[in-house]
Amino acid sequence: MLLNRRQFATATMSVGAATALGALPFAGAIGQGKKATIAFFVKNVTNPFWKACRIGAEKAGKEFNVTLEVVAPTKPDNIEEQTRLVEDWIVKKPDAFVFVPVDYKALVPSIQKANKAGIPIVNYNNIMTDIEKVTFIGSDDEYLEYEICKSLFKSMNGKGKVVHIDGVPAAITAQNRKKGFERAVKDFPGIEVLASQPGQYRRLPAQQVFENLMQRFPEIDAVVSANDDMAVGIVEALHAAGRGGKTKVIGIDGIPDAIQAIAEGKMYATVDFSGHDQAYLAVQAAVRHLKGEKIPPLVMLPVFIIDKGNVGTVARTPEERKVPSWEQATRKA
Amino acid sequence: MTVGTGTARVTLSQREFLGLSPDRLFVVVSRVTALVALCVALAVFTPYFLTWSNIINVLRHAAPLFLMSAGLTLVVLTGGIDLSVGAVLGLAACIAASLITSGFPVFGVVAALAVGLSCGLVNGLLVAYARIPSFIATYGMLWIANGLAYVFMKGEVIYGLPAPFRVIGTGFAGPIPVPVLIMIGTIIVLHVVLHRTRMGRGIYAIGGNPVAARLSGMPVQRRLVFVYAMSGLMASFAALVVIARTNAADVSLGEEQLLPAIAAVCLGGTSLFGGVGGVAGTAVGSLILALVLNGMNLLGVKTFWQAGVLGVIILLSVMADQLVGRRINRGTT
Repeated sequence: MLLNRRQFATATMSVGAATALGALPFAGAIGQGKKATIAFFVKNVTNPFWKACRIGAEKAGKEFNVTLEVVAPTKPDNIEEQTRLVEDWIVKKPDAFVFVPVDYKALVPSIQKANKAGIPIVNYNNIMTDIEKVTFIGSDDEYLEYEICKSLFKSMNGKGKVVHIDGVPAAITAQNRKKGFERAVKDFPGIEVLASQPGQYRRLPAQQVFENLMQRFPEIDAVVSANDDMAVGIVEALHAAGRGGKTKVIGIDGIPDAIQAIAEGKMYATVDFSGHDQAYLAVQAAVRHLKGEKIPPLVMLPVFIIDKGNVGTVARTPEERKVPSWEQATRKA
Repeated sequence: MTVGTGTARVTLSQREFLGLSPDRLFVVVSRVTALVALCVALAVFTPYFLTWSNIINVLRHAAPLFLMSAGLTLVVLTGGIDLSVGAVLGLAACIAASLITSGFPVFGVVAALAVGLSCGLVNGLLVAYARIPSFIATYGMLWIANGLAYVFMKGEVIYGLPAPFRVIGTGFAGPIPVPVLIMIGTIIVLHVVLHRTRMGRGIYAIGGNPVAARLSGMPVQRRLVFVYAMSGLMASFAALVVIARTNAADVSLGEEQLLPAIAAVCLGGTSLFGGVGGVAGTAVGSLILALVLNGMNLLGVKTFWQAGVLGVIILLSVMADQLVGRRINRGTT
């Protein structure tokens, strides 16, 4: 029912050369009888995004017959705890790490230790530099935000007053999404940015920040929110203030609540940021690597915008949506 | 209920005003002065601040934080701390949301309050009878409540609460938002409990001098159990208001609220060493925190500056009365 998303253009970008080759001696570890073990890392067990990742990874684990160990800090996004977890798992020596850092810089030394121990690393979701990795699999936040903003601004005929609600200012995803927003604004000289304020990626703070901004700006044509959770909070605030329907709100992620708000006509659009797909493909990449296949150093998932036009064909949760095939995901643009 | 006109009052100064000794009165006045100064500054710098709708807006933002800090204030007055308020808020929110969306609204509300009360009772028993320092007892409870919520939710988020329930978070009674009315009601009730009952006098006495309180034959342990139970209960009560407002519940809801809650208590003039302070002060503290965010949003303070500005204003608002306060205390004692 929702197969058409797979027809979207698939982009694979190649960067540099110095990646991914540290694990050659381990090629062929699979197929020597023993079932491979993959340590699969998530940032926390509280956010539904990482739940979707877990489901995607477990699906791949079953499909490719590997033992999947999910590793999560008990305190969400805790750097110190993830550092310890990485060190514990280096000692346990699984066949591969499928890894997302809770902080893309702070975890570099720990992953370098894993590199030294010869454990192949598939990095997903948040890209890390200065480490040896088999590949990175993720979505390009800057490009996602740029594309959805373009689609929003076009729908406004290129002019109007826009409020930007940022995520957690220090987060790399927030920084990249903001860059995408700013790039799109440059492309449309008729778009006026009224304010850009941080909403911490969370609903209640975003709601309060937006309510404050509504005091100052009686007319807001559109709101660009750095994620869906905040976008839905903003939609709530608009409706509560009797200003619903006049302001177009966009988010990123494709969470169930946003899909519903779009279906009800309360929210304008979102773009799928599927942790489920990233995790599924990342585990698959690890398995393929262990079998000795050559993996492209950077795999970027296709951009899939969900709006009124196609919301009827989109499943509510990311894990119910169809995963792109390996060939689709790694096809050269 | 018996009015506390007994021994406790004799120890206070003869020159009381509104039941406050001169140095206490000074703290109250200075905190209110800080609040007023902040308001005047904002009114001068932005024309959008001093409007009826913005004042209502700020009051509404302060309400959830105040409700969470109100119970905590009682604990702090006894010289203890309750680190579990955020986690209990999260747990209660999840239980309430889950039952309410399953069609048991009354049961959901009662169950959430019961869970909050139970967590608080356990805290109180651990502190009063097992003699575990409150920091550790409630830190343990923080993890237990978090853990229970994780198991209960498994990374899920619950959306879409029924409109009648949402009145407590989003409704208006005439021009006044319902959460603000709840806040005012809570201030009055707790203020009366603290200043006009034997229990309240006892709370101050325990914080002021626990040994003397015990020697005077006061049931110290029972009173401690009461304050921790109240703290848990108020946290779960705050949870109901928060989910009614955001229309969603997840485990981490209260996490980032813990430090602001403690800050609201301290900003309101309640001493972390116990025996000094009150709930009205905590309301002032919550308002100061809500005002700072409101002001930064209205003025359009750049994202990266906001954290720093918040810190400076918090320090300024307490430093002023520390400087002046020392001089006055030298004069009176």
